[in-house]
This record gives sequence, structure tokens and C-alpha cells, in this order.
Amino acid sequence: MKEWQLRPARDFGLPFAERLKSHRREPGLLGISSHAIWLAAVRAYLALFHRLDITGREHIPANAPFVMIGNHTSHLDALSLSAALPRRLGVNAAALAAGNVFFGNVAAAMFAATALNALPIWREETTPEDLAFLRQRLADDGMIFILFPEGTRARDGVMKRFRAGIGAFVAGTDIPVVPCHLTGAHACWPAQRSLPRPGKLSLRIGPPITVTDIANDMHGWREVAQRAEAAVRALAPAPSPGPAGDRQHG
Amino acid sequence: MFRIAPLSEAFASPVTTGLVAAVAIVLLLATLAIALVSATGRASPALRHELWVRLGSWLLLLPMMILPVLAGRAWTILAVTILGILCLREFARATGLFRQPVVVAMVVAGLLAENFAALDHWYGFFVALPSLTICLIAVVSIPQDHPDSYIERTGLGVFAFMLFGSGLAHLGYLANDANYRPIVLMLLLCVALNDVLAFTCGKLIGGRKLLPVTSPGKTISGAVGALVLNTPIIAAIAHVTFAGTPMDRWPLLLFLGALVSAAAQAGDLVLSSMKRDLGIKDMGTAIPGHGGILDRYNSLLIVAPAVFHLLAYINGVGLDQPTRLLTGP
Repeated sequence: MKEWQLRPARDFGLPFAERLKSHRREPGLLGISSHAIWLAAVRAYLALFHRLDITGREHIPANAPFVMIGNHTSHLDALSLSAALPRRLGVNAAALAAGNVFFGNVAAAMFAATALNALPIWREETTPEDLAFLRQRLADDGMIFILFPEGTRARDGVMKRFRAGIGAFVAGTDIPVVPCHLTGAHACWPAQRSLPRPGKLSLRIGPPITVTDIANDMHGWREVAQRAEAAVRALAPAPSPGPAGDRQHG
Repeated sequence: MFRIAPLSEAFASPVTTGLVAAVAIVLLLATLAIALVSATGRASPALRHELWVRLGSWLLLLPMMILPVLAGRAWTILAVTILGILCLREFARATGLFRQPVVVAMVVAGLLAENFAALDHWYGFFVALPSLTICLIAVVSIPQDHPDSYIERTGLGVFAFMLFGSGLAHLGYLANDANYRPIVLMLLLCVALNDVLAFTCGKLIGGRKLLPVTSPGKTISGAVGALVLNTPIIAAIAHVTFAGTPMDRWPLLLFLGALVSAAAQAGDLVLSSMKRDLGIKDMGTAIPGHGGILDRYNSLLIVAPAVFHLLAYINGVGLDQPTRLLTGP
């Protein structure tokens, strides 16, 4: 006979405020419901105000875990990528979000934790142990991470080089990385504006890449970042200039 | 329905007045005692801090328990509903049931329906709901086509519903009785007193452990001491509360007292067994100095249905009150 596997929540015993910011946070019925309501509202908003059109949906894996990545110019990016997920998978998705922006105070953290189901990345404080734990959660909990390997929104709207951190989650695993490219977000809601304005958004989703053959070390992480960056640039509708001195990718 | 009762109605029974006054006096004495211990430096700083934290929690908890009962029938049922949901949340997160949102949603629906039946004063629906809800919990996760862990999630769902939905809702249903305030307050306070008596007797007398693997802290002397001391206290309070009713016979009153004490300890041991099985110390961190909500209210889970059905059998609960208040013609 099979033994029962009673497994308390990963965040069991954490005080409320600490739980909101914790990488161990697991949503329950309330969190899942509020996240689903939020996703439905986001889908309606993007359809109504941004006429979001999505191509390449067939490339989204049928089952979690996987990672969705994209270019980053606007808060609309994470919303668009999460809106592209099938409803069945949407509740498993967690956006990796800047801790100082989304978890700066309790009210913001409550919104980020319950509606966005975001997990914080603290630019200077996220440790290798944190990354290793997130890597384990991604695989063990069958999650979907939505993340932007540039690290921050490009203020000029031009895609920057990907940082190596993406590799920490997937290098040496068979977890697919789904490249996405969103066009129009910078014009609608650049980092300099406090609120978005209506405008056309186009999301292209490319075939997933896997990095099973790449070592889980700093060298391997950089290689993952390069492959991921190339996959995203390949989806750009027109040649997108790279950082100064970099050659343009198609 | 959610009107707040005037003081004359809230304190219509001398038992209510006596119990509230006793609570106020105990809290005042506890405050003075801790202040004295702190001022004379007789306790270590850590113990002083612990005592103040525990007292602070009681100063918040007791009004949260007593005020809804004084305020009225609907407030009492609302408070019991909230308590049930908070207990369910802790249980679900401790056992992992929360990873089955469909099952949890059905448990929540059953819990709300039970408390709605109490609010409606519809006994037929109230007693029909456990079997109906259990059927639905058994069925609800089947369409996921994921039979792996089916028995586990269904078993946990049924267990959670019976304890926090069906069991606890009996406490709210008692509020349909015209004389509910002294009965509910007596249960709330005597269950808390039972913990104190068991702890004190155990410390003073010591001796053999009750169930050392399940709960290393509990002693046989504590369990028996609480039973022996609390039974006459409850019987005496119940004697005044039920004066002139079929319940007002000493054998019955003493049986009621023993039942409350034994059921309270059984509830405590239910939670101890859960925690030991899960390998955790507390069910949460909601109440500083106590642990989780369940760590404080575990006893009521067993006491509420046990006492309700004894009273319903001997006296009847709310038989002279209007029924189907919301769903009736």
C-alpha cells in the first residue's frame, strides 16, 4: 500500500509579511482564485486597449514546468506573456519580478503575491542559494517562470544583452525555455510613464529551446543566456539593434 | 438580522453577566500578577516577554470570542464561520490539502452551507449537509482524471469538512436557542479553563504521561485533574443556565460537565496527533504565544457537536424559535 505523502506548504510557519516576499510562497485557493481573476482581467484589458495579437501559441508546451522569456521594455511584457498561457497553465505561472518595485511595501507585496503570483528577485541581494532553490521549485512544483533576462526594462526600448541568471534555472535540465518577443509595449508604456496608453501589441512565441547539454555553472549560464537571447532576437519583426558595438541579429 | 443586541438583552441571563465578570477579573489579576513578577525581577526577561505576549493575545482573543456572542445570533454564527475558515486554512496548509484547490473549494462550500443552515435556522438542511457534502467531495476531483492520490485528497477533504465545517458549525447553531448566550459562553470559557486546569494539575502533581508519543507534555494527572475539577464547575454553571428545564438534573448536569472536559481533551489530542504525524510543533503563527488558530481552538471541534446533540436530545435547541428565516415562505 502506498504511504500518504503529507507535505506541508513550503512557506508553512512564515509570518504573513515574510511569506509575501518569500521564494517559498505557495498559493492556496484564495491565491489561485485571485490570480485567475487577475489573469482574466488582464486578458480583457489587453484585448480591449491593445488589440494584443499572439502568434506561435502552438509552441507553448502542453505541461509545466517551463520558462517563458522575452524582451523587456514595459510592465506590459509580463502581462502579455502571462495572458498568452492557456487558462489551465496560467495558475502555475509566476513572474520573477524586481523586489524593490513589486515588493517594496506590504500593500505592493500583497498585490504582487496574490494577483500576480510574482516571486521577488532582489538585484543585489539574491544569493546563489536563492537561485538554486528557485531552480528546484521550478522542476519539483511544475511551475512556469516568466522572466526577462535583460534584468530591467530597456529605457530606450532597445533590447539589451541577456544576463547569465536565466541559466541558473535551466542549465543541464530538459526544462524548455520558450522565447517570446513583444512589439509595441515600449510605445504604450515605457518605463518613464506612470500609466499605459492604448496601442497595438504583437506577441510572437517561438519554438522552445532546451539546454540539457549545458553545464550548470557560470560558463554554462552565459551560454544559456546567449542562446536564449538569440532565440528572442530571431522573433523580432525587423532587425533589432544590439548593444553598442554588437552586431545586429535577424 | 445583523442587529446588535442592547445591553439589557445581551446580559439578560445572570450566567452571562457572571461569566463576563469572571473573565474580566481573571484578566485583571493576570495582568497584576505578571506586572508584579516583572517589577520584582523574579522571572527571566524571556519568561516575562512570553507571559506578556500570551496575556496580550488573550486580551485580544477573549473580546473576539465574547463580543459576537453578546452582540447576537447572527454575529455568533458569523464568528464561527470565520473561525471555521481560518482553521480550515491552517489544516490545508499543514497537510498539503491546499494543493487540491477543487477539493478545498468544495470543503469551503460545505462549510458555508452548514453555517448558512445555522443562520437560516433550518435543521433539516443542517443535518443533511454532511452526507451531501461528503458525496460531493468524493466526486468533485474525479473530472481532473488524475486518480493518483485520489483517496488521500478525498480523505483529507472529508476530515477537514467534518471538523471545521460540520463539527464547528454546531457551535453557531446553538445560537438559535433563545438562551444561547450563557450556553455558548460557558462552552468557550470552560474549554479554555480545561486547558489551564490540565496544565496546572499536570505541573503540580506530575506522574505518568498520558500518551507520551502523541503528546509528551500531557500527564494522566493533568487529564484526570481537569476532568475532576472542571466537571462540577460546568455542572454548577449549567444548573443556573438550564434552571427549570429537563436538563436541570444533577446526573445530567454532571454528565454534561464530564462530557465537555473529556471532549475538550479529545480535541486537544486530535490536534496533537495531527501535529505529530506531520512533524510540526504548531499549526501556524497567527496567535503570538499560542501558535496557530487551531492550537487555541482545537477542543471546540469535538466539544461543539458532542454538547449540541446532548442538549438537542434532552432540551431541544431553539425549538420555540422561528425557523427557515431566510429560505422560508
